[in-house]
Amino acid sequence: MNTIHLEFPATRRLTKRAHVGVVGSGDLEILLEPSEEPFVKLTVRTGTTGFDRTWQNVLERFFEENDVAANIKINDFGATPGVVKLRLAQALEVSQNDVEQLEN
Amino acid sequence: MTLNNLKTSLVELDARSRAKAILDEGTFRELLGPFEQLESPHLAAQGIVPQSDDGVVVAKGYIKGEPAVIISIEGDFQGGGIGEVSGAKIAGALELALRDNKNGIPVRPILIFDTGGVRLQEANYGLLAIAEIGSAIIELRNYTPVVGLIPGKIGSFGGMSITAGLFSKLIMTREARLALNGPEVIEQEAGLEEFDSQNRQQVWQTIGGEQRVVTGLADMLVEDDIPSMKEAIHAVFDKPETEKPRSTQVARYQTLLKATDPSYKMQPIEMRELWKQIAEGKPVQQTSAFHEPKNGETSYSRGQRWFEALAGTSSKHAEVQSILWTDKGIGGDRARFIAVIPNPNSRFPRARNGEVGLEEGWAIAECVREAVEEDRHGEKRAIVAIVDVPSQAYGYREELLGIHLSCAAAVDAYATARQAGHPVISLIVGKAISGAFLAHGMQANRILALNDEAVNVHVMSKQSAARITRRSIEELEKATEKVPAMAYDIHSFATLGALFGIIDGVDANTPTKEDSDNVMERIHEAIRDVKSGSTGLEHRFTQNDGRRASILVRKRLEEQW
Repeated sequence: MNTIHLEFPATRRLTKRAHVGVVGSGDLEILLEPSEEPFVKLTVRTGTTGFDRTWQNVLERFFEENDVAANIKINDFGATPGVVKLRLAQALEVSQNDVEQLEN
Repeated sequence: MTLNNLKTSLVELDARSRAKAILDEGTFRELLGPFEQLESPHLAAQGIVPQSDDGVVVAKGYIKGEPAVIISIEGDFQGGGIGEVSGAKIAGALELALRDNKNGIPVRPILIFDTGGVRLQEANYGLLAIAEIGSAIIELRNYTPVVGLIPGKIGSFGGMSITAGLFSKLIMTREARLALNGPEVIEQEAGLEEFDSQNRQQVWQTIGGEQRVVTGLADMLVEDDIPSMKEAIHAVFDKPETEKPRSTQVARYQTLLKATDPSYKMQPIEMRELWKQIAEGKPVQQTSAFHEPKNGETSYSRGQRWFEALAGTSSKHAEVQSILWTDKGIGGDRARFIAVIPNPNSRFPRARNGEVGLEEGWAIAECVREAVEEDRHGEKRAIVAIVDVPSQAYGYREELLGIHLSCAAAVDAYATARQAGHPVISLIVGKAISGAFLAHGMQANRILALNDEAVNVHVMSKQSAARITRRSIEELEKATEKVPAMAYDIHSFATLGALFGIIDGVDANTPTKEDSDNVMERIHEAIRDVKSGSTGLEHRFTQNDGRRASILVRKRLEEQW
């Protein structure tokens, strides 16, 4: 198991925490909690080794486009970069919406 | 974003959304949710990424206006496998529901299954948890129906199918499957001729929801549609229970087994016809159930040697020759001894080497229940299970005829005896494996084991476990150094706190008179210890710190209940 810590500057505050996804084949789980600090801090745990650079690139790009101050934990089970971005977008959406949805 | 009303499928939802969908709208309150991050302490050590809720969602809420607790297993995380934390969440929630119901506070318990059984990476922790889950369900059933929903896609397998066998009512979809051993495992253990796991039609015809409901192994068939499922669950709670739980209906299922002819592969449709006759109370023709040894093969197992050394006889069950049982005085107390031994002439070809098969499970239940019935108004005799069971029986007939229920019947009988005040002791003299050990030994108040290399406790052979968890045997053995729950030896098992004692200095293979006296004294000591304690399984938590996570989960659940 490989653990990666990343941190990017951020300014926009969030109001709500969010939990999406599952640690299942080709998927990942995201726990997002709003932060008071001007950063987005990420801890990624993944069973797949050798992709640190890919994680760095995917997450850096995502948080350039989405300015949110948060602490984020990612538990990965072999998700592709596309799935990672989709799940992150979903987590942001949940954290900005009041109505909960049933998810699959 | 609003709730999508067009889609009513439950199967497509994750575990948390399933729980929300089944509870009355807006009443879902999760206990030990993902942000508490009570994850498995055993997975990271093996390089496996844990999940923040360990794959089980526990929530309180309402079912048709009445307080309820719903437990939902996430099939996408580690195949819904039961580990220490996920197992303790299920057991702990059921134990709290039991406490409330005992105190006159009604709580409706519902479990949504989606599980392959014990999580192999936590092996014996899963077994212990499943024994505790079963014990709680059996007691809880006295107060309220305990409802199981098996929607698919996985279904319910392994030890959790034994658990399902204990439920008051089971609701299934056509897509769901219910079986002790999955088709792949049977094919691997017994060959393609026994069960072709690629033949999907045969798989679903044998263990699929429709077959299970038509043959009385489940109660209601529903579409994968949330309103229909809710309606089915409401119907169970609306109607007062009239029928006894199926895992207690020993005579009925023994009649079924006696009416089958295992010399050929019975078809699912024949099982339907046979069950219809039994359910309608019509007489069925009994095939010859009693088989004398024909070919002179003898197999003198360790279990049999210890049974004879301790009980002084080898009296067999009248019809099931693989079950030894007798009553014997033990230092002023009485005890019923029960052992499972090989019967090379068993009617069921997959149960000839000492496995717990269809006949064995029901026969154990019969022997235990007879003692409970006889002692109803008197001194409760002790029940001593002598454990030397290599596995449950892997076979097509076994699954068609519901071996998970046969094992559940034995679990039910032992737990019922224990809860009624019978001291139940198990003595492991050889192998104590998987479903067989769950059925014969795991419900004891106290477990004793001989200190011997051939005394093993585990959930699957090393070869199979390595294949399924996609590791080499060397990697597997390395993992056992970090996680003793995965090891096979009795000293590793002892670190989990489940043993009352390890008995040293006896010849495990050929007990002498002195050895049996010594062991008898230890059994007696265990009986006395039970008599001064409770009828539950709590003893297993207090022996050492092997169950830290199990205790923590229960404590936190209680705080949030």
